[in-house]
Amino acid sequence: MNSKLATLGLCAYIAVSCLVAFFFPQSVLAFLSVEASLLLLYYVAAPRRVKIFLGALVLVVLLPVLGSVNGYYLEVAIQIGIYVALALGLNIVVGFVGLLNLGFVAFYAIDAYLWAIFGSPQANAFIPGGLFPLSPNWFFVFLLLSIVIGALTGALLGLPVLRLRGDYLAIVTLGFAEVVRALVNNLDKPVNLTNGPRGISPISKPPLFFQPLLEFFGLHVTEAKLYPLYFYFLILVLVCTIILVTRRLENSRIGRAWKAIREDEIAAAAMGVPVVRMKLLGFAVGASFASAVGVLFAAKQVFINPESFTFMESIGVLAMVILGGMGSIPGAILGATGVTILNLQLLKGMSLWLNGLRQSGAELTIPLLGSYSLSQLPAQFEPAKYERMVFGLILILMMIFRPQGVLPPTRERKQ
Amino acid sequence: MALLELRGISKRFGGLQALAGVSLELEDGMIASLIGPNGAGKTTLFNTLTGLYRPDEGEIHFQQRSLLGMNPDKITAAGISRTFQNIRLFSHMTVLENVLVGMHSRLKTSLPGILLRSTGFHIQENEARRRAMELIDLTSLSGREHEWAHQLSYGEQRRLEIARALAAAPQLLLLDEPTAGMNTTEAQALMTLFRKLIGNYVKAILLIEHNMRVVMGISDRVHVLDYGEKIAEGHPDEVRHDPRVIEAYLGQGIWSGNA
Amino acid sequence: MELALEILPQVLLDGIVLGFMYALIALGYTMVYGVLEFINFAHSEIFVLGAFVGVEVLLLLQSAGYLAILHPLIILLLVIVASMVISGFAAMALERVAYRPLLGGPRLVALISAIGASFFLQDGLRLFESLWRNTFYLNYPSLEFLDQTVPLAANLVIPVKSILVIVTALMTLAGLYVFVNRTKLGMAIRAVAQDPDTASLMGVPVNQVIALTFFVGGALGGLAGVLFGIHYSLVNPYTGFIPGMKAFTAAVLGGIGNIPGAMVGGMMLGLLEAFAASYLSLMTDGAFGAEYKDVVAFLVLILILIFRTKGLLGEKVRESKA
Repeated sequence: MNSKLATLGLCAYIAVSCLVAFFFPQSVLAFLSVEASLLLLYYVAAPRRVKIFLGALVLVVLLPVLGSVNGYYLEVAIQIGIYVALALGLNIVVGFVGLLNLGFVAFYAIDAYLWAIFGSPQANAFIPGGLFPLSPNWFFVFLLLSIVIGALTGALLGLPVLRLRGDYLAIVTLGFAEVVRALVNNLDKPVNLTNGPRGISPISKPPLFFQPLLEFFGLHVTEAKLYPLYFYFLILVLVCTIILVTRRLENSRIGRAWKAIREDEIAAAAMGVPVVRMKLLGFAVGASFASAVGVLFAAKQVFINPESFTFMESIGVLAMVILGGMGSIPGAILGATGVTILNLQLLKGMSLWLNGLRQSGAELTIPLLGSYSLSQLPAQFEPAKYERMVFGLILILMMIFRPQGVLPPTRERKQ
Repeated sequence: MALLELRGISKRFGGLQALAGVSLELEDGMIASLIGPNGAGKTTLFNTLTGLYRPDEGEIHFQQRSLLGMNPDKITAAGISRTFQNIRLFSHMTVLENVLVGMHSRLKTSLPGILLRSTGFHIQENEARRRAMELIDLTSLSGREHEWAHQLSYGEQRRLEIARALAAAPQLLLLDEPTAGMNTTEAQALMTLFRKLIGNYVKAILLIEHNMRVVMGISDRVHVLDYGEKIAEGHPDEVRHDPRVIEAYLGQGIWSGNA
Repeated sequence: MELALEILPQVLLDGIVLGFMYALIALGYTMVYGVLEFINFAHSEIFVLGAFVGVEVLLLLQSAGYLAILHPLIILLLVIVASMVISGFAAMALERVAYRPLLGGPRLVALISAIGASFFLQDGLRLFESLWRNTFYLNYPSLEFLDQTVPLAANLVIPVKSILVIVTALMTLAGLYVFVNRTKLGMAIRAVAQDPDTASLMGVPVNQVIALTFFVGGALGGLAGVLFGIHYSLVNPYTGFIPGMKAFTAAVLGGIGNIPGAMVGGMMLGLLEAFAASYLSLMTDGAFGAEYKDVVAFLVLILILIFRTKGLLGEKVRESKA
């Protein structure tokens, strides 16, 4: 009875929030409330099947429909997807294995550049024959390849460093990421591999292999409309795959070994866990997730340069994992969604609002302090430019007040 | 044929000779105790035996196989597992998960098997859970399998360590002060459990113990360490009357039975 | 080859100046690591804060018209003392707010908080300067006295700025040596570094000693900031990251926790960087140039951490109680 009520409530909420977002496409709040329905789904005590159905309904049908009304929504959803995938990858390393990796973005960068170089004319600069850009069909090959390359680079970096104690490991991974970024930045000579700070463009998008099918059904969608939807579904599939893989690893001897290493490395070794091998595996799996996202990111952006792969990016993803709760899959998803929305919508929204105030030139009168013309608000004061402050606050406050995160890992209930 | 054979094990930390040529044999079916004053090298011997330390000299043979240079996880796979003096459970994992970690070396599903949830995976996982529950039962922890390890009481945590060590299906079980901090009833219950383990779950037990009532009540053989050297060995009654042992313990009142 | 020899004195001088700056910053990392076994990731921002305090003091003096009147040495003294004091207190405050609640917990928790503090301070400085000066890229006002040069040889001209860095750093390092080895407070710091529990039993107020360590480390960082600002003129809130990482490298290179080690490590890294910046391009016929100096520094960091964790002069941290 109770669960029926909950189901009804959920359906009603989803319907209302979607309608609102549909009719007020400019409202950030309306869209936020649609996004919140997924969180609600997680919390409400409805039957599992109902939850999965409603979740799929929101993600597969409602969001894309809303997104085709307002493309910005879809863009936000894609960004969230990218960060969810990255956060889930880092969660394996930091949350499960307990190793602080401060250079996670390096893996993401390496494979983003991999597709950028070969999926654009860039590779012609060092491979003669004018073979490039490769045909878009290669995108999927590179996506698979990136998983292997990511795992290999992860293991390659891990091999020498995994014996280091925790804080040194963190600094080495940071150094590694900085070296990767500096190389990407400077390898435009002597041979032009990466085109340096100017970046690479245009990068091929994935093939529209299903277009004939759409035509067959009489649907004529322009490419400009189709691509955002396409990327949305690609990232959705990728995220779902990553969640599935993570869950399956978590509930296996591998996941248990990871957590045991996190809790007590010596005891884990004494219980028969091959510590170094398991750490390497964790590094490799996390890196392979980031790598796959990297390829997708390059294809979506069309243009990439080293600026997208800074230390701040690594810390941003770390903040997501920590906010959500280390070692928790729902936590990583929530953290990534929350921080991305904060960055893309709330801070930008505040910046716009402040700009509006500034232009209105209204007078703010505070008793005893006199009045202040809002047009005098310094133009430098723009919340959207203070991402670092937000990340920093998240990290400090969470560590002091709630180190286990907003959605800490739950234990298995009785079956 | 001895199950475990240590020959002249020495270990030095800087200027401290922690172990000086310790030899020891353990037969199948035996419960042996390792006693000695604090700092005598008992835990160091355990750490050397389980691969946490490399001995400077000496040989370790387990079932006719040398264990020298093996990593801790390999030694566990070879059939020796242990508990820790200061409890080292995986606190943010459930009781059941703690025991399942102990089975790591016995589970063989490959990565693809795990990702694709192969039939083999399910069979192994179900069997592992069944065995884990059996061990949880054996250590009187049933009903608590889904609690976090850190939520258990002190005595329960000690028992969980034993269950976790048994999960590795060892031939030889090393227990580091298993009854520390327990009252007489709890210690008695553990002694009953240890006797039950021999022959059913493990071939032999070696324990470090300060509680002489436990040592005298349960051991087939007692080895005494002092300043890293083995000063006596024998049947409990012989050892307790050995003048060197009495000297080592002099003034500690340890034989009164409630130390 | 001739060119290589010709620029050698200049390269050495650059390296030494850089080396002293790294050494000063590295001391902050190494002293805190010595007492807490904790990487104070936000130390690079304390360094930047010092640079900003310096430029603010100079700008304030300038706008009040004192810059032209006061004796340059007094100006320098004012600037240096102000940045050292403010950076020192900022480091103490940082310890109180962001680290002390976490010490005793897992090491990584405090490290994550320190990274958070680093990011927070970067944007905090930016926000402050944006509101205060409407820009957060600040230029050090030029002091005539400092812009002079002293010609030593045909191919070596020493700017007064470089002399300032070298002299100030040497004096500070000597002072620090006396402080740590000859005073009661310094002894307390060494006692806590060796074994905080015993030190506490012996009546050393451990928390206050930790605070003092942060103050001293922060003050040295602030001094480095001023010298950096005077030497390179331009500062922004994000300039700290790279010098901070390099100074940390220097600390590890010399053996973390080891005070003379930090000086040696800083000097080596400074020289290495100067050589990389000048000679890499000569050696590779222009294929790789000065832009790789950061890569070289980071590679040194990675290699040292992997292959010689204890640094060149040996680590001075307590035996971990496994």
